[in-house]
Amino acid sequence: MSSINLFSETLKREFKRMLSRPVYLLGTFGVMFFCYFFFLTFMKEGQPIRMPIAVVDLDNSSLSRQFLRNLNATQQAEIVSGYKSYNEARKEMQKGNIYAFVVIKENFEAEVLANRRPEMTFYVNDAYLIAGSLLLKDITYMSELTAGALKQKVLQAKGVDESKIMGIIQPISLDTHLIGNPWANYGVYLLNVLLPGVLQLMILMLTVFSIGVELKERTSHAWLSTAGDNFFIALMAKLLPYTLIFTFLGIVADVLMYKYMGYPMNSNIGWMFFTTFLYVLANQAIGVLIIGITPVLRDGVTMAALYGLLGFTYAGFTFPIEQMPYLAQVFSHLFPMRHYFRIYVNQALNGVSIGYSVNYLLALIAFTVLPMLIYNRLKKAAIYQNYPIK
Amino acid sequence: MKDSKQDMSLILRISSRFRAMFHIFVNEIQNIFKDRGVVIVVILAVLVYPLLYCSLYINETLIDVPVAVVDASNTPISAEFIRHLDATRDVQVKYKFVNMQEAEEAFKEGKVHGIVFLPNDFSKNLNSTEQAIVSVYSDMSSFLYYRAMVLSTNYVALDMGKDIQVSRLNALGITGEQQAMISDPIPYESVILYNPGMGFASFLMPAILILILHQTLFFGIGMAAGTAREENRFHELVQTRVHRGGTFRVIVGKCLAFFTLYLLWSVYMLGFIPWLFNLPHIGNPFTLLEFVVPFLLATIFFSMTVSVFVPTREVQMVLLLFFSLILLFLCGISWPQSNISVFWKAFSWMFPATFGIQSYLKINSMGASIHEVSFELIGLWIQVAVYFITTTLAYRWQIRKTTKKQLMESEL
Repeated sequence: MSSINLFSETLKREFKRMLSRPVYLLGTFGVMFFCYFFFLTFMKEGQPIRMPIAVVDLDNSSLSRQFLRNLNATQQAEIVSGYKSYNEARKEMQKGNIYAFVVIKENFEAEVLANRRPEMTFYVNDAYLIAGSLLLKDITYMSELTAGALKQKVLQAKGVDESKIMGIIQPISLDTHLIGNPWANYGVYLLNVLLPGVLQLMILMLTVFSIGVELKERTSHAWLSTAGDNFFIALMAKLLPYTLIFTFLGIVADVLMYKYMGYPMNSNIGWMFFTTFLYVLANQAIGVLIIGITPVLRDGVTMAALYGLLGFTYAGFTFPIEQMPYLAQVFSHLFPMRHYFRIYVNQALNGVSIGYSVNYLLALIAFTVLPMLIYNRLKKAAIYQNYPIK
Repeated sequence: MKDSKQDMSLILRISSRFRAMFHIFVNEIQNIFKDRGVVIVVILAVLVYPLLYCSLYINETLIDVPVAVVDASNTPISAEFIRHLDATRDVQVKYKFVNMQEAEEAFKEGKVHGIVFLPNDFSKNLNSTEQAIVSVYSDMSSFLYYRAMVLSTNYVALDMGKDIQVSRLNALGITGEQQAMISDPIPYESVILYNPGMGFASFLMPAILILILHQTLFFGIGMAAGTAREENRFHELVQTRVHRGGTFRVIVGKCLAFFTLYLLWSVYMLGFIPWLFNLPHIGNPFTLLEFVVPFLLATIFFSMTVSVFVPTREVQMVLLLFFSLILLFLCGISWPQSNISVFWKAFSWMFPATFGIQSYLKINSMGASIHEVSFELIGLWIQVAVYFITTTLAYRWQIRKTTKKQLMESEL
């Protein structure tokens, strides 16, 4: 038989195997579609809005009530309860029912009117870092606004020229631009990494599993003989179906994010499709490398698990790589996710020309060389079945 | 006489049950240590993962994020602004350019993560009575860059602004009390509770620590069950010679083995690691114990129930590892619980990790007493009861299946 025939026979065998037990379909379409459904519905708001906060308003004056009304009108905060003391509010915070509270002292309004500058205190729970920092921003903004109005009133009363007032209240003002994600949307920030991250995990797992299970169940001879005892054909025909499936699933994720959800895509979406394809190849190569290093299914799966979970950290999207210890930075280059992340930032978020991403694209391609390191070892394992099955 | 005989036989019966249970317990401990795959998950991973993650996040906050400054004003006062910015802990002025193109180029090349633009009327405005506007551009690839940019530029703008404000008010003849009233009519203090350094590790690691306990137990128990099933002649989960008919003893014996091991791990994970890496650890040890017991039991029974459906030892990890990530979001420490839809919240209550992470965070990071975590504790105890029942049913079904198979075989 010609190589092409052998290849298509092996391909057919693989498709049959994929339908023979549920793990293959669940591990590709099942898991990925669950994740698309989960993450897209979970963070559909974009930013957490109307998070519960409380007030301890000991003044209960028109000024304090005005401030609280304004605070309640901000995007992030919703006042859900009022307490009589700091201790009550703190307990509620420890229960996790509120993420922040504001304490307004007695005689607050009277002291403001008497120019005695009463203090206001905010308590923010940063054990929930995201809720905490968003609320701190909103509360600070609202109190600056309230103070600003007071300042303006006083200056106007002094007869200061209207054109000079802003220069006095705030001599240096900041005009902040958020590059690529102007509304600080958490979906944009997280899903662009989490979805490819899960894809990575599943590619590693299924590559290791689909090869390792042939060794474990001693079916590798049948696998090889279908390919005319040509290991190269056997391996390629085994990997190809997953290349196609995972590239398809990856592109579905791209379309869901950049078209359906309208996440920023500031260059040609084709580059992300292309990157997704290279990313799938790179992860398959690592999967082959892992099962080649340890041609024992269970060890291969455990190794792929340890490596795959580290990939999320090593993308460097929550905590940037260059802020990690030096040794950790070196290892980060060994994760396709890191290179994928850089390309996504360049192409989708910042919309720079593809030239800036060439190095990262080349890095993804370089991963595909890795299986050569263990090619013979894996081939021997398939022929001699000389590794324990467990 | 007869009574005491009955007593004796009762005691004997009870002691024999205990001996059987103890036998299963010892057997199970041996099984754990005999199986290299299980040892990697329930010993090695538990030992190494927290050390690894804590060292990656050891910096807690970003230090000296590189930024570019475009100083179109190029005057002593703009230089002062740049100096102050560079002096902050958050950012470092890596480059000074004269036009925006150069700064954009540095940003595209990834050399800087933010750009600060001082316009050419910057010092003119400050020297007159106008407002000067500084443009700040922030990399949004990590929100921590954004925070560093906002914190540092805000600080410098306010700090320098204060002096300018004073001189402008002085020029208008507004001084003393009145000046203070205008510059800061309502002084406010923001108190950051439970994570005063706003640290990333202090926020994320408590959840990761609980998740490691939860997931290693889940996969460890699943793997052990998968092995048992592969090795026994009838692909049965529990061997007849071990259980001798008593489902209850099998379950309790197995549970005790993992419970004992993980009680020790809890000391390492929830006591030693937070102390070593200076993560929040203000919880009362007894309160922690009151939470750890139901958390471990719920996780063990949950895992044992699922393990009945695990056909081979690898499949569970292949298919369910990704769920660690889902659990991290479901527990509501990053995306706040108040903003999780009813559907996903109800879904999250199926998993001991949800209550586990919330109560651990509240006890050890926020110093909550048992009172404040009663909701989570009740949730965990309900899970203990429910998953104990499901485990019993599942095991009973398995054992019956095995016995039937053996009967059929002996009849042949």
